This record gives sequence, structure tokens and C-alpha cells, in this order.
Amino acid sequence: MRDTGISFILNGEKVTYEGKANDRLLDVLREHFHLTGVKCGCKEGECGSCSVLLDGQLANSCMVAMGRVQDSEVTTIEGYSKTERFKVLDRAYAAVSAVQCGYCIPGMVLASECILSANPHPTEEEIRIGISGNLCRCTGYNAIVKAIKIASEEGNGLW
Amino acid sequence: MVNGIVATDLKEALIVRAQGNYTPYGGGTDLMIKSDRNARYLFLHKVPEMKRIVEDDRYIRIGSSCTFTEVLQNPRIPQLLKEAVSQIAAPAIRNLGTIGGNIGNGSAKADSALIFFVSDSLLRLASVRGERVLPIKDFYLGRKKLALSEDELIVEVLMPKKGLDNYYYKKIGARDALAISRVSFAALLEISEGIIRNCATAFGAVTEVVFRRPDFDALLIGKTLEEAKHQKDSYLAAYEKALVPIQGRISAEYRKVVCMNLLKDFLEKNGI
Amino acid sequence: MDISKSVKKKDHEPKMNGSAMYVGDYPTDGVLFGKLLHSTRAKAKLIDIQVPALPAGYFVIDKNDVPGVNRVHIVKDDTPVFAEGTVEYIGDPILMVAGPDQQEVDRILNGIQVTYEDLTPVLRIEDADTVFFDYTIEKGNVQKGFREADKVYEETFRTGYQEQAYLEPQGVVGFVHDNRVTVHGSMQCPYYIHGAVAKAMGFEASQVQIVQDVTGGAFGGKEDYPSIIACQVAVASYKAGKPVRLIFERREDMEVTSKRHPSLCTYRVAIKDGKVTTMDIDVKFNGGAYTTLSAVVLQRGIICASGVYDIDNLHIRGKAVKTNTVPCGAYRGFGAPQTFFAVEMMMNHIAQDLGKEPLAFKLAHMVKQGDSTSTSGKYHFPVPLPAMVEELDKISGYREKRALYAKQTGRYRRGIGFSAIFHGAGFTGSGERDLIKAVVKLHKYVDGKVEILASNTDMGQGLKTTFSKIVANELNVPLDRIVITNPDTDRVPDSGPTVASRSLMVVGELLRRATINLRSHWKDNEDQVVEEHFKEPDFVIPFSLDTFKGDAYPTYAWSVDAIEVEVDTLTGVSKILGSYGVFDVGTPIDENIVVGQMEGGFLQGIGYASIEEMNTDGSGRIRNNSFTDYAIPTSMDVPHLVAKLHVEKYPDGPYGAKGAGELPLVGAAPAYVGALEQALHSPLNHAPFTTEDTMNVLMKEKK
Repeated sequence: MRDTGISFILNGEKVTYEGKANDRLLDVLREHFHLTGVKCGCKEGECGSCSVLLDGQLANSCMVAMGRVQDSEVTTIEGYSKTERFKVLDRAYAAVSAVQCGYCIPGMVLASECILSANPHPTEEEIRIGISGNLCRCTGYNAIVKAIKIASEEGNGLW
Repeated sequence: MVNGIVATDLKEALIVRAQGNYTPYGGGTDLMIKSDRNARYLFLHKVPEMKRIVEDDRYIRIGSSCTFTEVLQNPRIPQLLKEAVSQIAAPAIRNLGTIGGNIGNGSAKADSALIFFVSDSLLRLASVRGERVLPIKDFYLGRKKLALSEDELIVEVLMPKKGLDNYYYKKIGARDALAISRVSFAALLEISEGIIRNCATAFGAVTEVVFRRPDFDALLIGKTLEEAKHQKDSYLAAYEKALVPIQGRISAEYRKVVCMNLLKDFLEKNGI
Repeated sequence: MDISKSVKKKDHEPKMNGSAMYVGDYPTDGVLFGKLLHSTRAKAKLIDIQVPALPAGYFVIDKNDVPGVNRVHIVKDDTPVFAEGTVEYIGDPILMVAGPDQQEVDRILNGIQVTYEDLTPVLRIEDADTVFFDYTIEKGNVQKGFREADKVYEETFRTGYQEQAYLEPQGVVGFVHDNRVTVHGSMQCPYYIHGAVAKAMGFEASQVQIVQDVTGGAFGGKEDYPSIIACQVAVASYKAGKPVRLIFERREDMEVTSKRHPSLCTYRVAIKDGKVTTMDIDVKFNGGAYTTLSAVVLQRGIICASGVYDIDNLHIRGKAVKTNTVPCGAYRGFGAPQTFFAVEMMMNHIAQDLGKEPLAFKLAHMVKQGDSTSTSGKYHFPVPLPAMVEELDKISGYREKRALYAKQTGRYRRGIGFSAIFHGAGFTGSGERDLIKAVVKLHKYVDGKVEILASNTDMGQGLKTTFSKIVANELNVPLDRIVITNPDTDRVPDSGPTVASRSLMVVGELLRRATINLRSHWKDNEDQVVEEHFKEPDFVIPFSLDTFKGDAYPTYAWSVDAIEVEVDTLTGVSKILGSYGVFDVGTPIDENIVVGQMEGGFLQGIGYASIEEMNTDGSGRIRNNSFTDYAIPTSMDVPHLVAKLHVEKYPDGPYGAKGAGELPLVGAAPAYVGALEQALHSPLNHAPFTTEDTMNVLMKEKK
């Protein structure tokens, strides 16, 4: 029987991965597809640095085996940063200098997207729940929460 | 694909499972922590029989491949289960993690398992040889030991519909998110026409298997609130004697004190 | 130009869109993957090491391959590059395996058999028999103070490990080529690494190039440890003839890299006429297996041991002791969190005993401008603590809540705690003048762009932006005319390490002066370079490490914190209702950046006080070696955290700025534990103070 690769949509493009179904999505994105914006902080699903969107939902790519993404859509920060919504978040994060060392940021940005697409005008509590799986050691979270709030105010109906 | 199969229906999943060399993959959030280079995964996220949440006259039937997020978003799911599931880990884990995986891990720390224990839920297991339904309390044989045959899969959880409205739930972890339970407690009390129709209590994370003693709870069933007050001392004494928490990173003494405090608070809040 | 006005950070974009290159992001074609074999014993002789047959292209690198000295220079030279006869802690690096395939490297590593002869390790401060460093501070007449005392108090305080938990694990890549070695990676101090690698390789300074990559957090954890792994990859590359990449796994990083020193401090305090006159303090820091930075951490710790208080008679004896555990090093605060915790709690307990309110009691003892410091130096500048206390009271409602929460009962009990601390920025004593001798350069290009050449690193604290703002401000040009890249020792002079909260205050000021110099000699369309050397401010009273007398620091940053908690007596869990801090770091060079530093540091300090518990097990191994078992705060844990700035300008800092980075962490633990004291009606004496600890106190209360 001929083994076909694992085909899925990566940042809007149809791709095929010829490796094993038990390979880690995080490793494949970084090493095979050279998408190093997806960071590795722990490889145990505890920090959120490796966050991607899997069929539009926030997922820790270190916890996903390649077989799981067959026929799914995966979006990384590289793909997301080309969107209009990203521009709003970019301005908001910049306005409050929410980016310090930057390692948590790709994950935080994708988490921000998920918060706002679930609710374009979230409460602070909802924002904090939405980023509760993304650890940040630099900012104390206040600036990131503020940035997401600003994005929700200036979203201009994008969400 | 190499080293993996995405099952498209239950029949296919069971045939592969019976082959014996595939590990069932629910959400991956426990499996992927230990990176096994040679693992072969049986992906279950596309099996329709395991993705349903339906209701019949007695049960809410939750497919074992339903993610925690799907459980939270479904209006059929009782509030008690939602409360427990909403405190699991963090959003990204909840988007992937499944009910079947949570139970299949065999751990007394599994937040949804506690709720299934206290509600006396059932599990439907299936294999190429057929199906069987058994109470969840009979499914856990010991720490990480399940009454699951090598060719079986958990298909769905059958959660009794009634008697879940008056509940008590508390989870204590190391912090407010991304925390594994250190002590958890769930309880149900159903009173009608002044009589306690049902009392169910269960403790998670403190012993090797979820601690559920229906024989203790039976002391209060069928009683009026007044009568139950007279039973209170015996009830608490029974728990005090029988509940022996494990010593781990968190001391057994701490666990014991908190368990008894929560149990007492549950009784007091209900006027006992 | 209002220097404090926030701007868009210079490194915002690449970090935001994922294009920023951290060391682990560089392509690995032609690069060997390295992995270390760490000792699994706390103390043992290495009897034999059996290595399986190596496939072609795979190497094992150990002490025999070190071309220079098998020592990593970190202040002293006792840390080995690779273990020699013995191993001194679980994690001590024995050898490295390097090769083209990561999985194969892992397989070879797992196949290596090490025969140890176990020796008896020392694991606790109390059992230590080797003292690395021993210092004494004396002032006034301690014997007289105790003789004349109305009452003498004695108490012991304990603090635990803290893991820096930077989100990006440690990592370096080393490449020997053309008789030179280049190491790039995640680091704070390129020139520290430069010196260490030159020594280990037996190379001249000109043969070594160290380049910082975008660094995903450090907080002191990448001050000394990168020197060790840099030496290791340099040696490995030398042997293998190819670049070697060493990136730590998270569990590995948590188990074997440097942490905050655990401490044991005993205070004997005399009061007379209701005031503290005398403190006799014994400070012990657990240095771990090698000396690394313990000397300097201990120095700062003992200097801070009498707190913000004017105490006439002092005797402070500090020791850093050896144990067979992970060598402790730098972490934001650097010795101060430990002793400030102790002195603040001690003052709480004395106040309580005298029937006084801790805040009022502390205010009555606070230093003022002109007072002498613990080392008989001087507080040359205004001490704004009383004004900051009023600001703190306004935002936190401290006084009202303190009165309201006296003797709470019921299931939920609240409490509010207070702390006051300082942080002396820059190297202790004359370190800036005699050890670092910082030099900066500005290179003006023909097109008018100016490049900043300094060795200080941006690790998230915004140095690229703040340095650029200073230069742009003096030249009155837009920010994008200023060029600043990650430091490369081939191109930048040594302006000193990025530690001790010195970068803005010391190097920023050098850059300001250099820019004024450039401006006054500016020639259009010409390529120009100016250089500026550190000059110690005139007013500084010289400091001697022999006598521990003089100005330990030229000036101080100040903070006051109030933390409000609610304890659930059924479960022992405490919820933080509010964390409030007022911070004086002088003029903020960028308001968002400085407030971001205050908020981030404050939360780290709260973690240190509450949920960040790290212990070794019976064998000396760090048990909490993952993010699952070492809990740092999430966005849910402290939703109400308020940081306000109070500005007391420092004339010798750029536009009045003082050192800022470490200050916000230091006062959190005593404020948090002080709040618990009120809620639990009991004096407390250690940090972290966990849920279990709380329950233990509540259970004792019942008896």
C-alpha cells in the first residue's frame, strides 16, 4: 500500500508533509517549514509560546501530532501577521509597549485573535482567561491586557 | 500516513485498535508530553460516534472525543460539569483535550472524572467483540490502572440527567490557571418534599482513585434535614476514618484537613 | 523633548511578527547538535566513563579536549568547563555529545555509562562546612547597644530558591574558524563570555568574538551561566571542526542552571525608648557547588540587611557557603530580596510586640538625606519615602484597610502588608571605577546616522529604545536616525555587563555625554567616532571591600509596596485582592518601558513570595523541574496590580534617571507575607509562604 503524505493547509497554502504522523507539529513547523516564529518554551503544553491556530482555535503546537492536522488548517504568526486584524493588534501592542523580550508574543497575538473572534468586546476578565495559557515572565501581563482592550476598541468591526 | 491512522468511523477505529500496535489519540495533551519516537497513533477526532453530545430520557451522552471546549459550549451539558471543565488548564489545552483522554489517563486528578464519579455516570466501551456499559467506579482499578481491555475504546460517557442542579464543587491547584488539582471535591444533594432523595460526594486528587463512598452518603439518604443533622457526626466520622490521602508534593495532612473542611461546608450550606 | 514620553519600541516589529531571530531559530545546516551529560550524583568521584562506539561525524567532548584552561572564569576560576575528578552537584556537566542528528545524539548520550563512587554530599546551609565568602560590616557600638537595651529580640528568617524562568531556554552556538572562535547566543554579558572563552581556549582576546542574539528574557539567569556553555561549545567546535549548537530543554534548564540563593538570616535587635538602636545580623546564603557570583550577591545582601532604617549600631556577618547543589547566581535583586524580606518582617514583629502599627513604626526609623548608610557612607540625595508612603496610601487604602482588617474572623480573612526598600544601582563600591571602567563609542556615518556601540544587551527591558532615545534627544533628531544592533565584541567596546540595574544610569549617562561631545564636534558628511569613559561622580565616598566602609552605591532607587490578600480558611488558599507599588527610579527614560519593568518585576516578586516553591529532594536534585511543578504567575493570578512612579531625579543619571530593573521585585515578598500575618494573626518568617504553610498556621490556631 502506498503511503501518502499528510496534507493540510498551512498559512493559507495547501502543503504536504511526508514525515511520520507522530512527529510533533511544533518541530515540523520550525524545522521542516522554517516557521521559527513558533517558539519552543517547554514542550509540555505549559507555556503557550508554541501557540498556533488549528482550525481557527488556539492550540499548543507542541501537543499536536502531525496526523491530527490532516485536512486541517494551521495558522502561525507568520501567516496571521499578514492580516488586517494583525495590524490592529500590532498598533495596540506598540502603543503600550507590551512587547518586552518577545518570546511569548507570537503566542499572545494568536491568543488575542481567539479572544476577539469569540467576543469583539471582551471584559478584562475574559481577556485574562483568554491568555491564561500563555506565560509571560517580563510584563506582569498588564500591558498585554491593555493592548487587547485597545484592539477591541479600535477593531473597526474587523472582529 | 506513516505511524498513524485517522479513523473515520467507530468500526474502523475498533479494527485498528484490535490490531494492538496503535495508541488511541484523543487530544494529545497527555500523550505528547512523553515523546515516543516509535509511537503509532490511532486518531479518534473524526469518529462521529465519539463526537456526539446527545440526550435520551435518562442520560446525557457525551462522546469521548469531544473536547473540553466543545463540552463547555454545548447547552445540554450540566452546569456542574462545565464548572469543573472550565478550570482545566487553559484555553489551548481545552481546545484539544478530550473527555475520553481525561478519563483514559487513569488519574484521580482528572477533573471531569471526578464529576462522572459523583454523578454515578456510566461508560460505554466498545471493541470488535462487542460493547459493554459499566459504572465509572468499576472502571478504575487503581492508580493508572483501568478495566479497559487492550482492544477496547471508550466511546461515550452516560451522565444521568437528573439531580445535578444542587451541586458543590471546589478545585484547589497551585495557581488560578494551568493548574493540576491538588485537592478537588464535588457533591450533589437532591431534596424534595423535605426528604433527601440523593446525596453523593466524591474527592479527587487525594487518593489513587477518586474517593467515592456511596455507603457513607446512604446515611443521609431518605432522611429529613433534621434527621440528617443527627447523622452528621457519624457521617463525618466515617469519612475521617476511611479517607487516607496520599503523601506527595503536597502533604497528606493538608489534603485531609481541606477535604474534611469542604465536606463540612457542603453540609452546612445545605442546612445540615 | 520630553524624554519620558513613550515611543514605539525599536524592536517591536520583528518580535511582534515572529521574524526576530533567537539563537534556536538559526538554520542548522552543517551545524552539529550538542547535548550535555550531567552528573546524576550530588557528590561523587568519577571512576569510569564508558562511551559506545561513535558513528562517523559524532564526537564526545570532555575535559581532555579543552585547549586552554579547564575552568570557566566567573569572578574566580573554580567552575570546570567539563568535570575532572569529581562531580559536585546534580547537573555538573561531565561531557558533551555532538553530531549531525539530534536523535542519534540522544541515543548515544543515553548509552553512556558513568561509574560514580558516591561521596557524602552536603545539602543544607546548616550542614555546610566550606565557606566560600565571609564578610563583616560594622558600625557604631553593638555591645553598648545591647547593654543599654530595654528589650532584645531574636528571630530567624528563611527564603527559598527562585528560578528565573525566562521563556527562552539557555542556548549558544560556537564556531571555531580561521583560528578564531565565534559564539553567539542568548546572553546578558558578551564581554564576560569573551573573557571566559579566551581563557578556556587559550586564545588571545582578538581571537574571540561573542555576539548576542535576540534574548528571550534573562533576569540575571543569563549573567554567568552562558559563559559555561559558551566555553563548552567553543571547545566542542574546536574538536569537531564544525559549528556546535547547544540549546537546553526546559527541564534541563530548570534543574541545572543558576538560581536565586536560598538564605537563612538571624536578627538580634535591641530597642531603647521604643526605637531600634542596634542590629546584630547573621546572614547565610546557599552558594551551591561553585563560587560563581556568590561573593557579589552576598555583598549586596549584607549591605541591605538593615533595610531603609537609620540604625546607629550594626554588626552584619555574611557567609556564602558551599553545598552540593546547583551553583546559585544572579536573579533580579541579587541578594537584596533575601535580606530585605528578613529586616521588613523583623520590624513588623517588633512593632507588633510594642503594640505599634508596622507602617508608623517603620516610618519613625526611615533614613533621611544626609544620614549614614549601613556601610558608613551617606544618603547624598533626598529620600522620598514619606511622600511615597502617602501616594501608596492613596492608591491602596492601606491605613484604612489595616485598621479594618485587625483581628478578622470568619471563613474569609483579609490582611494588608507593607514594605519599604531601596536598590543601589551599579556595581557595589568602586566596581564601576576599578573593575568595569566602562567605555562607549558613537559612530557617526557619512549620511548622518549615528550608531551606538556599547556592550549592554536588550533582553526585553527596552535598552535598544532607551539608549537610542538618549542619543536622539541630545542630537535633536528622529529616533530612526539612531542605529543600535545586538552587541558584537568585534565591534563594540566593553561598557560593562547588563546587570546591577546599571545600564541606563551608568552607560546611558556615558552615551549622553558622548553625544554632547559628538554634537559639539559634528562635521556634516564626515565619518566620525567619539569615545567616552566612565568617571566616578565626585561626591562618592570611596568604598573599601576590606573594611566595607564608604558609599556602596552613589544613589538609591526607592519603593514602597502594599499587598492585600484574602485567605480562605477552609482551604488555605490566599487570593491577592490588590498589589500596589510606588517606585522611584528617577526620571523614566520612557514611561511605558519603565512602568512595564515595574509591573513585571513586581509580579516576579509576588511569585517569589507565594507560589514559586522550589526544593531539592533527599539526593540534592531540584524536584520542581518543569512549568508544571514550578508555578509562575499566569494572567489570572494577580489581576489587580498597580505600579506608580514617583520621580526623584538623580543629577548624575541621564536626565535624572536611576537604576530601575531590579527595584520592583525586592519589596513584594515582605508586603505579601506581611498581609498574611495580619490575616492569620501570627508572625511569619519564611518565603515562599504557601497554601500549605497557611493551613499549618490555621491548624495551630485551632488547637
